[in-house]
Amino acid sequence: MDKNDKLAVSYRRRQTLITVLPFLALAGLFGALCAIVTAKGYRLDMYLKIVFNEGVVLAIVATGAVFIYTLGSFDISLGASTLFSATLGVLTYNATESLPLMLLVIFAVAVGCSLFSSVLASVFHIPVFVTTVAMMSVLSAVAAQLITTYGGALGGISIPSEVVKPLDKPLFKIIVLVVFSALCIFVFNYTKIGRRQKFLGGNPVCAQLTGISLNKYAIIAFVMAGLGVGIGAFLTLVYTPSVTTTTAGSIGMNIIVAIVFGGMPISGGARSRIYAALVGGFSYILLNNILMLLVDSNAGYGISQIISAVFFLVVVFVTGINYRTQILPR
Amino acid sequence: MKNNVGKKLIGTLAIPVIVAAVLWGLCAANGRSMIANRTSFNYFVIYTAIVMITTMALSINLNSGRFDFSLGAMAVLASVLSSKITYSILGGGAGSAPLMLALNVVVGALIGLASGGLYVLLRIPPIITSLGVTLIYEGVSFTITGGKYVMTEVRSASLSAFAGNWYWPLSIIVVVLAVIVILFDHTKFGYDYKALQNGQKVAVNTGIREVPNALACYAICGALMGIVGFLNMSRSSNINGGSLSFGSIGIMFTAFLPMFIGGYIGRFSNEKLGFLLAAVCMSMLNSTFAVFSNQISASAQSIINAVLLVVFLIYLNNEGLLRKLLSPRKN
Repeated sequence: MDKNDKLAVSYRRRQTLITVLPFLALAGLFGALCAIVTAKGYRLDMYLKIVFNEGVVLAIVATGAVFIYTLGSFDISLGASTLFSATLGVLTYNATESLPLMLLVIFAVAVGCSLFSSVLASVFHIPVFVTTVAMMSVLSAVAAQLITTYGGALGGISIPSEVVKPLDKPLFKIIVLVVFSALCIFVFNYTKIGRRQKFLGGNPVCAQLTGISLNKYAIIAFVMAGLGVGIGAFLTLVYTPSVTTTTAGSIGMNIIVAIVFGGMPISGGARSRIYAALVGGFSYILLNNILMLLVDSNAGYGISQIISAVFFLVVVFVTGINYRTQILPR
Repeated sequence: MKNNVGKKLIGTLAIPVIVAAVLWGLCAANGRSMIANRTSFNYFVIYTAIVMITTMALSINLNSGRFDFSLGAMAVLASVLSSKITYSILGGGAGSAPLMLALNVVVGALIGLASGGLYVLLRIPPIITSLGVTLIYEGVSFTITGGKYVMTEVRSASLSAFAGNWYWPLSIIVVVLAVIVILFDHTKFGYDYKALQNGQKVAVNTGIREVPNALACYAICGALMGIVGFLNMSRSSNINGGSLSFGSIGIMFTAFLPMFIGGYIGRFSNEKLGFLLAAVCMSMLNSTFAVFSNQISASAQSIINAVLLVVFLIYLNNEGLLRKLLSPRKN
């Protein structure tokens, strides 16, 4: 075996390690949570339920968002969009007492907000990120105004818990997660939509020169993200049937962390993966819950966030080790 | 030549003059005054300083393709550390404000440098580094303060005197503007910065040292955000140490609109002067919101700011098309 072969083998090994690392991290974190909860004598089933309920919303919204991130864009307004959809959903139910209508409004609003962002960016040539910053401000402000008007800033607005209680079952949520993930995997991996989006993310100039329309695929990406937001908003209501001004507040930023945690580059392109959102979403929630268990004082929230951030940076550093450039990345 | 100077002058002053005319007119039509007394003028100047410096800090890295979410976290951490150190030395006595300001600049520069050091060391995209750094700095501030507001260490006669005299924040505006203009427009560091900004690969290949330049940019951003932290302290007499899970990034969003307005004004004069004039516009808007605070809620203010941002960007990105549509057709 000559030097080049050895280098190639070493590169392949590192690539394999990088691919499996997010899965290993997820398995390791799951094992650690089980071990810590058992050692502390707490109820494991209760903790697993908490992790699952928090993780499923983040994973679903992040899975939809993968389509946007694949294009090399990013959307910071998804958390605000989730809050806004849930708010209008609750108001609709309280006005009509119809669950199907509430669902319809949630999805229409979620997809509508996403579409509005993308159309604004495409038609008026505004940078997508700035559009989503503006959308975030508007949606949070309108939702906050509605919540304080109809329910008060602290108590928020709610629907009767018995309306969604029958759906607050792990099986229902697993089915929703599997169906949405399967749809996303199909669109992303087995249709030209996914292939072209990866091409656009990897090399937008070249992709557009071959006749691929950035606007068209950006709109599709935002619609997929909107679907994820709609499901996320609905599952948030299923878990907690009330909405306050802080509901889904950190989802927008956690999505970025989850996607990167799952091994996908923030710059999008050919290395984008749907599973990154699922793996990263659950890993991040597991890590946060583990740290909460380990450091359980008030100041411990700060320490657990520091450890979580360091862990995040280490994972990103290791998964990107094969893609170092001479010049500083931008 | 004369024509050119006139065009530049009109281009530079058009937006601030229009904004001032509209907002003063709006206040006057309702029998109110935008700046009714000396206290509101003091706040007007402090807010102008906060917006101008935040905009400069945001634009330094953003113009080079380095997105930095950690600006707000840096301001909070620098303020927490400097107020604690100052209180332990002076116990809130005379000279607290100047010492706090000096420490805010030094601590801010150091944490900015640490942030840049992490980026250079890890060589991962700056946006991701900044996510991690934001979480770390927020976590450190939360751990030091126990998640509570810092008040005892902040309140002092010295700081109240600073906030009560508009010429102090005005002096900060003048000094910061002069330093940034000299640094970025008249030094080798500034020329290297511009070369790296416009052609990173070529600049590096010609021998420009990218790493020290990037580190200096982060340190300058940190120092600027340290000043912003100090100004925020003087304005509200406390520091919110309880921001976690990216709660500190809001400060950054207030700088987007002035950054784009400043960039537009910069076409006719100097970008940094543009940031100052844009900050004055934002401050006038903020003062008008204060005048109509009974009629315009905080939510409505956020919506107005966001709509203004989008409308301005629509104009900025479709200027050519609009000019074409509005100009008379030639047969």
